[in-house]
This record gives sequence, structure tokens and C-alpha cells, in this order.
Amino acid sequence: MIQVSCPWCGPRNSSEFRYVGESKGRPDPNAATPEEWRRYLYVKSNPADWATETWYHRAGCRRFFAVERHTVSNEIRETRRPAAQLRLEGGAP
Amino acid sequence: MAESTENTESTESTESTESTESTESTESTESTTSPIARSSIAPVPPVEIVEGWEVSRRTSDAALTLSDESPLGKVVVHAPERGVFATTVGGGDGVAFGRAQRRADGVLVIGSSPGEWLYLGPPGCAASVLGAALASAASGAAGGAGGASTAGGASSEHVSAVDITHGRALIRLTGSAAPRLMAKICAIDLDDRITPNGTALRTSVAKLVTDVVRDDTADGTRSYLLHCDRSSGQVLFDAVLDAGIEYHIDIAGFATI
Amino acid sequence: MSATRVAGAQATSAPMRLAAQPGEVIDRSRRLAFTWNGRPAEGFAGDTIASALAASGVRVFSRSFKYHKPRGLLSATYHDPNCTLQVGDDPNVRAAHRRLSAGIAVTSENTWPSLSFDVRSANRLVSRFLGAGFYYKTFIKPQRLWPAYEKVLARFAPGGIVEPDSPHGHFDKRYVHVEVCVAGGGPAGMTAALAAAAAGARVLLVEEEPELGGHLRYGTDADRAAAAELRAAVAAAEGIEVMTDAVVTGRYDDNWVAVVQRDVPGVFERLCKVRARTLVVAPGLIERPYVFEGNDLPGVMLSSAVARLVNLYAVKPGQRAVVLSANPEGDAAVDDLRRAGVEIARVLDARTGANVVRAEGGRVLRRVELGDGSKLDCDLLVTAVGWTAPTSLLNFAGDRPVYDPDAARFFPGGQHAANVFPAGGLCGDGSLDEIVAHGRAVGAAAAAAGAAGTRPPIPTLARRPHPALFRSTTHGTVDWSEDVSSKDLLAAAKEGYDSIELVKRFTTVTMGPSQGKLESVNAVAVMSEALHQTIAETGTTVWRPPYVPITLGALAGRGFENTRVSPMHGWHVARGARPLVAGDWIRPDHYGDPAAEVNNVRTNVGLIDVTPLGKLDLRGPDVAKLLGLVYVNKWAKLAVGAVRYGVMCGEDGVVLDDGVTGRLGDDHYLMSTTSSGAATVWEWVENWLQTEHPEWQVHVTPVTTAYASMNIAGPKSRELLGRLIVGVDLSAEAFPYMHVRQGRVAGVNGCFLWRIGFTGELSYELHVPAAYGLHVWEACFTAGADLGVAPFGVEAQRIMRLEKGHFIVGQDTDGLTQAFGADLDWLVKLDKDDFAGKPELVWQQAAGGYQRLVGLQPVDPHIVPAEASQLVEGAKTIVGRITSSRMSPTLGRAICLGFVAPHLTVPGTLVTCQLPDRRRIPVRVTEHLAHFDPDGERLRG
Repeated sequence: MIQVSCPWCGPRNSSEFRYVGESKGRPDPNAATPEEWRRYLYVKSNPADWATETWYHRAGCRRFFAVERHTVSNEIRETRRPAAQLRLEGGAP
Repeated sequence: MAESTENTESTESTESTESTESTESTESTESTTSPIARSSIAPVPPVEIVEGWEVSRRTSDAALTLSDESPLGKVVVHAPERGVFATTVGGGDGVAFGRAQRRADGVLVIGSSPGEWLYLGPPGCAASVLGAALASAASGAAGGAGGASTAGGASSEHVSAVDITHGRALIRLTGSAAPRLMAKICAIDLDDRITPNGTALRTSVAKLVTDVVRDDTADGTRSYLLHCDRSSGQVLFDAVLDAGIEYHIDIAGFATI
Repeated sequence: MSATRVAGAQATSAPMRLAAQPGEVIDRSRRLAFTWNGRPAEGFAGDTIASALAASGVRVFSRSFKYHKPRGLLSATYHDPNCTLQVGDDPNVRAAHRRLSAGIAVTSENTWPSLSFDVRSANRLVSRFLGAGFYYKTFIKPQRLWPAYEKVLARFAPGGIVEPDSPHGHFDKRYVHVEVCVAGGGPAGMTAALAAAAAGARVLLVEEEPELGGHLRYGTDADRAAAAELRAAVAAAEGIEVMTDAVVTGRYDDNWVAVVQRDVPGVFERLCKVRARTLVVAPGLIERPYVFEGNDLPGVMLSSAVARLVNLYAVKPGQRAVVLSANPEGDAAVDDLRRAGVEIARVLDARTGANVVRAEGGRVLRRVELGDGSKLDCDLLVTAVGWTAPTSLLNFAGDRPVYDPDAARFFPGGQHAANVFPAGGLCGDGSLDEIVAHGRAVGAAAAAAGAAGTRPPIPTLARRPHPALFRSTTHGTVDWSEDVSSKDLLAAAKEGYDSIELVKRFTTVTMGPSQGKLESVNAVAVMSEALHQTIAETGTTVWRPPYVPITLGALAGRGFENTRVSPMHGWHVARGARPLVAGDWIRPDHYGDPAAEVNNVRTNVGLIDVTPLGKLDLRGPDVAKLLGLVYVNKWAKLAVGAVRYGVMCGEDGVVLDDGVTGRLGDDHYLMSTTSSGAATVWEWVENWLQTEHPEWQVHVTPVTTAYASMNIAGPKSRELLGRLIVGVDLSAEAFPYMHVRQGRVAGVNGCFLWRIGFTGELSYELHVPAAYGLHVWEACFTAGADLGVAPFGVEAQRIMRLEKGHFIVGQDTDGLTQAFGADLDWLVKLDKDDFAGKPELVWQQAAGGYQRLVGLQPVDPHIVPAEASQLVEGAKTIVGRITSSRMSPTLGRAICLGFVAPHLTVPGTLVTCQLPDRRRIPVRVTEHLAHFDPDGERLRG
């Protein structure tokens, strides 16, 4: 079982987490074409490479966060707060 | 009778277009029996009513004991992770996420999650703890006159408190064999160097999401508070007992904090 | 050693037991009686089952799996493929490893009707039909013959007997956290553990045998002294936990190491889940058998088996021996045999070209044919032709072993993960001092890994040259567990299987219980010969966990099953409620007669326990924004004290959950969800708040179990509640439908009341601080006795909601039901700027053409169609399905909800329903989803 380092709780067994999926931006719901929206819903890029994913610490701090994981080696090189939170913190006065 | 569930609205919302609590009283006849609060964990005889709660008064001199502490008052406070409240919570320099600190009045303040604090105190304390937490938040947050929840204003922050006394089960495991027992049902490294006294963490215990708080006794004996959803309390209690057979675990009565 | 040690040792029951040996591990003062195939037998404490049997003169332990050939001891280790026995109702016991205990009943496996006369050995006569690839080919075609094959094969099934009613033994699990885990407790493993512990690391040292020491235990006096010294140092060291009779079965990502412990008191087996910063792999070496005709006869054994039998268990392996030796270990076995009083017929030095061609005998070995054609009578043939490095744990960590032709064995390839360290014999050969130095250096490096500073150097172990001996000039057994011969491998090569991976799957070579530890290298060598290539070119198969078989019990461990119950659960049980398992929750389905429960609610008043309903406490100035985002309808104008029904959709527009949310204060709301959706909705809400709108100030606290929830429903519910409540005016004017109030009920403060109604009756959903749940519940029954109050269960509620046409998410909708299909046109507000799933709903409405949920009534009121019955048009076209169906006690007729194609939604349309028994009945589309009181007069009264 791999270990995932939660940005808040530190390394924990992956069974404490829910793998949410590849991190994707949500298209503008009022402007998106059906193709764009369904790409957001259903299409996974599934690279044999580094991937940015969203995980949820279900049995811990209950935070969503971003994980950079290599899908071949399972190596995790970075975990960080969700992009929207980082943007908010960066943009705050 | 335990004053464990007061209307929290009085501290939080000052102006309501319509109050949920009507002031006029109907002509109802109140039940004659006074309410008894019951834990989700069946008490082991002898049973007594303490502060309105039905609790076990069993004593045990076993080296490893498990007791149901569900009647303790429990309040959860949410506030910004790095705000004013976070730096002053507990009336001091703040209780960091992952740590637990006992206040002078005996209330245990736990940094249970980022931006979330859990207060544990004697039965019936919830209302006063809750009020005090919100009052300290209000005084810390400029512009929060009369309420801790203040929208807008750069220096204000949103703080809320909920009495969860009834929503959670709380048990205490005490004895030097406690870490060995826990190793059967919990994947966290409980070595002194990794998780010293005062550590708080949320993890999976017997496959239940559980807050684990290391709160050693005054004489330095290992002790863990385990805090989970009320409806799973009995399951957690039984799982700990089962894992403890090897270490001759025994059930002890309610001890309070 | 002098021969006097041997004299006079034979008790009548143990003709092969020697006099006391200096390194023996048996306790001759403790005799243990047991039975062997029903007959009394005896051994000593410390004996393995196999050594006790061998001491009593047993030579045939089992029959082989496919051809039922007699089998005797081969390696006398855990991995010995020939002595897996049945002990009581415990099958597949490794008899050369399991310690003897008093009173056990040991029987041989794979034998019927008896070990000495096995009718299935007739298989040998038809072996050409059971040759390589038999199973593989058999199961391809023709399919219609499978049942017939199965019948035949089942009788030849391998292994022991699993008693269907044997109790689940006590299994256990444990998590272990260490800096260094050492697999293997020989000299290298022990010194690695000592060095790591000296560097401050917490160490777990795992050894397969019941005692540390490795091969030193059955070596020379000096070896045993060295082992004792190391054992004492380990025992005295701080921070080393030793697990003996335990095995590392797997290494997974991030050094998640599985250890099965077999000697825990009171526990059958314990699976330890170890998280180690580094893993030291020090398993030593495993002796390799030699391939020649008759090599599987009882009496043919490895030199290490001789060393173990004589030195550890004081068992004489035979009377007259031929020894084929290619290394010093084989030479040492000759000394062991001499000491044990075994007559040495011949020592064949393989280094000078001597060879064995054939072993002959019936049930046991009688004669050996040598390379020069001469024959020697003997009952013991010992081979010492080389060693195999069990590199499995390294392979699990990504390594591929590399063949060294000079040393005639595979070595680690150096590609394993950086947090794994091989040590000792795996890496090379050397004197005990050199092995110990290697172990010490590896241990220090393992402890230092991950820490700052330079990594301590690890010395290189030299590789001892060794002749490459795999197969003689004849063919013989390669895989004892799977009964695969070198001939089978050649046949596979002839059929075109030119890769060792394919040959493995085709012939099942190395796939048996010993998992290739004895067989792999010989299989590779034979294949290389057949394919005219080098062993390095052939390579090895990929090793995968487990290293040794694990019992399913150990994997299961102690069972954790979350069972959630409400505070009133005991009350329900006492009243004979039939339990309904709903996810983790146990709820009362009914108390005997659901129809009567319905009638009581419609005429008097009833109480149902709805505690599992999900409840989220939402606080903050931005809650209304959140509600507007997750629900399809609008929330901005919800007044304090009011509640509203809402439906949530996923981003695909599919109905996710529904429930009511009430506004308790300016910035305070209570959201309810379905019982099964509580966890999902919480996570869904958190996801929006954390990843899309972190700027919104909303605090979410799950309070599902903070409240005991009960629905008081029926025309007399107001009257009942009025007798218990203080502080709330229940009149219709003061407390109208779809509102929420707080008050004191039966002396309990802080109760919430929602005036809503899933059942269609005047009803109040009462949420009581959970610890008082039973108190308030009982108070309701006491106060309402004269009103005819009675409990009702989930089934009655389901009937009543169907009468009212309320859909249930997941019952009347599925993973494809978008909101408009669920007849939610009235609720969905597409003019909102944004909400989850909005684009899909815009497109759904524009496109039309979707199936729609409607009310349905069978024309024959007495036929209740089974749920999931299809609605059909003509012979083959499916135009919908029944999603809910019940007999309505209120209406006295069958009522349904179901999906129909768009052209059939007009009220009054007759649709054909095909029942599971293929009968077809007409059902009529009704005007409303509600079959009863469609205008809700009862509800709003």
C-alpha cells in the first residue's frame, strides 16, 4: 500500500484517502459546449507519467488536496492545497 | 439534568426575521419523568445517574482499562486556519492542529483538524464552553459586535461553534499496554518519539474514522481518548475490548475528565 | 564426532532416532504422542512433524499431486514440496516446519484409499493424457465437455480437505512501524539487525525457523557457538523485535512489508503489516535439487536435508548412502552421515565429472545407476549440486536477477528500490567472518538511509566458482509440487513456447506451493538447453507476492464491521422488529404487519425511527450560495423558520440526493439528506467549498447521529405532540407546513421539529439530542396510548410514500436518471447562474426524448408487478420499467412508479408490463405521481 503525504496530516496509508481523480478545471457552465463539458466529465488523460490528481483525506482531516504522482512508479513528488485555495491565499492582500 | 443543548442561536444570530423558537407557551403538560441521557455504549453494572447521564460506576484495578466517557461535554469550533482565533484558541497562544492542551479549568482543547478545534469538558459544560469560545472569538475579531459570525470587513473572521455532545461517542483506553493494543486496530505509529503525550490525530481505528488523543494520566500512564460517531460507539468499544483480551483488558466506569 | 553417539539410541517406536547430537533442538524428556494415518506415533518436543515421522521410520509422506507417485523428504524445510500433510481439519500443513504437538491427528494428503495403495497412481499409466498443458488445453474447448472434465478432475484435486464446518480459527493483525525490517535471521540478518539497532533504529528481525541462527544451527561446533553468540547479542540489544516462526511474504510500495507470524499464543496466525523505512533482505540460500530419472523417489534428498535431520533432530536419514557432491556443503553432509552411522556406499565428486543417471525402486529408493553405468544398492541418495538465491523480495521491489555462469546461480541485479538492501549469501560467498562483516555494513547503511550524511560503504562478497549442474543425461522431476518433469518442459518448447513466462503458464512449472524456490533455476536451465541458448538469455519469470502461501484466515484477520444503530434500537428489538440492513445501519423494517402500520398512520398516529437520515449543520454568511450551487432549485429567499425540499444532481445532471433544508437562523441552516447519501453529500459539499469556492464562509458539521430522529405521522400527530411540547404553538396558522421550530419536548431542550411529510399525513419530524432519543420516543408512546399510537417501520413508510408518489433516489432513479426524467420540471431552475449539473440539464430539456417517471396502476388491481418488470411494446421493444410496486392498503389496489418512453407519458395511456413469469398485463399511466391525496390536503391540514 502506498503512503500519501497529506499536506496537513503528513504521511498516511492510502486506504485513509479517496482518490478523487485527475485534477481538472471546471469549465464555465454557461459557456461550455457539450464536448468541453463531457471532456470534463468523462475523459481521463491517464498518462504513464507524472499526473496531477485530487485526493480526499476521508479518514483524516477531510481535506481535498492536489497530488503529483508518477503513475508508473507510484512515486509522489508533491502534495499541496487545492489550486483554488492557493489562488485565494496568493491573491489576498 | 444536563444543560448540554442550549439554543446556540442567541450567540450567533442577533437579528432574525422570524425566530425558530416561539416565546408563547402552549398548554401542554410536561412529562413527569425527568429525561435520562444515555450513551450509545451499553453501561456495565453498577449503573448510576450522574449529571443526568446513565453511567457505569464499575471500578477496576486492571493494568489496562477501557471506559465510556461519552457523557463529557463536546463542542466543535470552526474558524479560519490561520486567523485570529487560531492563534488565541484555548485562551493562550493557540492550540495547533495535531495537539491537545488542557486548560486550567480542566477542559481539554484539541486541534482536531485544520481550522477545527474540539473542546472536551465535564458533563453539562457544553453550553458555557461554547459561549466562551464564541465570546473569545468575538473579542478577537474586530467588527464582530454581538456575534462571532461576521461577514465582510478585512479584519473580521467567521467563527462558529456547535455542541456535538450527543453526536459523538468518546472512550478512554488507559494502561502501558495501550499502544500494543492500538497497534492491532490502528495503523499509526504510536511510539513516544513519533506521537508523544498531547498528540491529537484523526485516523482509521477498527475501520472507523476516529479522533485519537493521547492524554496520559497524571502519573504518566499511557492513555488515549478515542472519539467517533455516536452510532458507531458500541462497535469501537467492542473492537478495543476484543483486541485487548491478550492484555487482560477490563472495563472501568465513567471517570470524567 | 564418535560413532558411540549413535549406539543404543533406537527405541522400538523410533528406529531411526540417533543418540543425542550436540546441536539437537529436541527435548528428549518430553515425549509427545500423536497419530499418523490413524496409528499411534511418538516424537519429542522440538521435533517437526516430519522429523518425528522420519525418526519412526516413515519414508513415504505423501503422494504427488498429478500422478500420485510416492514422495519422501526432499529438503526437510518449510518449502519441502513433499510433506504437506493434513493435521486435524487443518489442510496443507508444512510438516517439515510445523512443530509437533501432543494429541494431533496427522494424515497424508492426496491419497485414496491409503498411502500404500493409491488407486489414482494409475494416472501414471495414462500420463500422456495428463502431460504438459493438460489443464490448459482441456479448458479451451469444447466448452460443453467442461462439466464432464470437472467431475473427473475434482476427484484428483490437489491438497487436503477443507472441512466446511470447521470453526474460523482466531486470527489477528497488527501494524508495526520500524526504521529497519530484516528478512532472515541467519548470521547476515542478525548482524544487520545489530548494526541498525546500534545506530538507533527500531528493528524488526523476521526468521522463518523457530530460532535465529540460519544455517549455523546445523553446522559445525564453531558455527553453533557463533550463532549462540549472535543470538545473545540480539536478545541484549535495545530496539530489536524478533519474530521467529514468521515469514516476510511480500514487499509492496513504500516498503509496506507483510509478515505472517505463526507462533503467537492463542492465535492461529497473525498478519503483521509492517511499514519500514528500509528492508534488509537476508534469506540465505536454498539448495537446488538435481534432475535425473527417479529423482523424486523417497530416499533421494538434498545435502541440507541430511544436515538438518542429523544435527537438529537426531534422525538417521537412511542406512546406506550414495552422495553426489559438487561443493563443500555436500562434503560436510558425508561427515554428518558417517557420524550418524550411515554406511557410505560411494561419494561421487561431481567436480571431477562423477554423475548419477538414474534412481530405481518401487515405493522407495533401492538402487542408483551411476554415470559409468555401474549400479549401487542404497536407500539414500544425497545430492549437493548447487544453490539458489531466493531473490523474491528484491524482485517484488523491482529487481530482475542476473545469472552468473561461473558461480552457476542468479544474483541480485541491482535494480531494486533504493530502500531495499540485500545482505549475506544472496550477494555472494565468504567465510562466516566475511558474511558477518557484510551484514553489519548493510545494517548500518539501512539505518542511515534517508538520513543526512554519507552512506556507509558495503563490502563486496566474492562469488565462489561452482560447476553448473542442473540435469543429468536422463529426464526427471523439475517441479515436485506440480509434478512437472524436464520432459514436459521439452514438450512445451517443441510446441513453440519459447519464453520461460509462457512455459510457466503452459506447464504450471514453479506455480505450486513452493513457488519456484526449488524449481525455478532448473526449469530455466532445462528450457535454455531445449532452446539452445544460455541461462542468462532465458532469464527468469517474474516473482510476485506472496513469498510463501498465506492462509485466507490470516488475510481476513479480525473482522471489523461497522454496525450503526439508533438510540431506540433496543426498543425495536424488544418489540420484535424485523431488522432491515441499510448500508451500515440496522433499521426496523416492520413490527409484524406493515399494512396495519399503514392503516394506523392513516387513521391515528404512528412513529417511525428515521435517525439514519443524514443531517449537516451549515453555518456562515455564504450558506445560501452553497445551497444554490448544490441544489437544482433556489434558496436565496428562504426565510428563517422555513424549510424547503431540494434535489441535488451531479455534474452529469444525474439525480444524486434529495432532502429538505431548513433555515434555523440568519446564518444557520440544517440540511437533511437521504440515509444512504449522508456521507456522499457531506463530501460533495466539502468538495465544492474546498476546491471551487474557498472564499465562501461556510462551516459544515455532520450531525447525523447527534440527533435521534423520529417522524410522528397521522391525523392525531398534532394532538400527541401537543401533550409533550413546551414553547411551540403547533396550530396550523402558527406552525404551517414546511416550517421548522425549536422547543422542549418531554423535558428535553434543543429539539427541532420540521413540519414535513413523506407519508402524506400531517406529520412532524422530530430531532432530539441523541442521548435523549429513547426517553422522548418512550414518552410519545406513554402520552399517546389513548390516541392509538403505534410504531411503523421502513416498509410501511415505503408503501405510504408510494401512495403519495414520492420517489426514492436510487430506487426510482438510477445512475442515468437526469433531473427532468425524474419529473422534476417544477423544481429545476435553469435561470440560476450556476449549479451542479446545470449544463447537462439545459441540454436534456432542449433535446427531450428521455424516459420519464410516471405513476402506474395495473388494470387488474390485484396484480402487484415485481419491481424491475419491463414495460414493453410489441414482441421485443422495451419502453420502460417498473421502479416501485406495492399493494396499497389505503386504496386496496396495486400501485407503481415507473419509467416510460416519452410517447407513453400521457395520463390514461395503457402500457404492457411483462412480468418475470412472462405473463403480460396492462397498466395505466396515472395523472399524478401520487396515487392518494394528490392535492396534499391531509398533509397541509
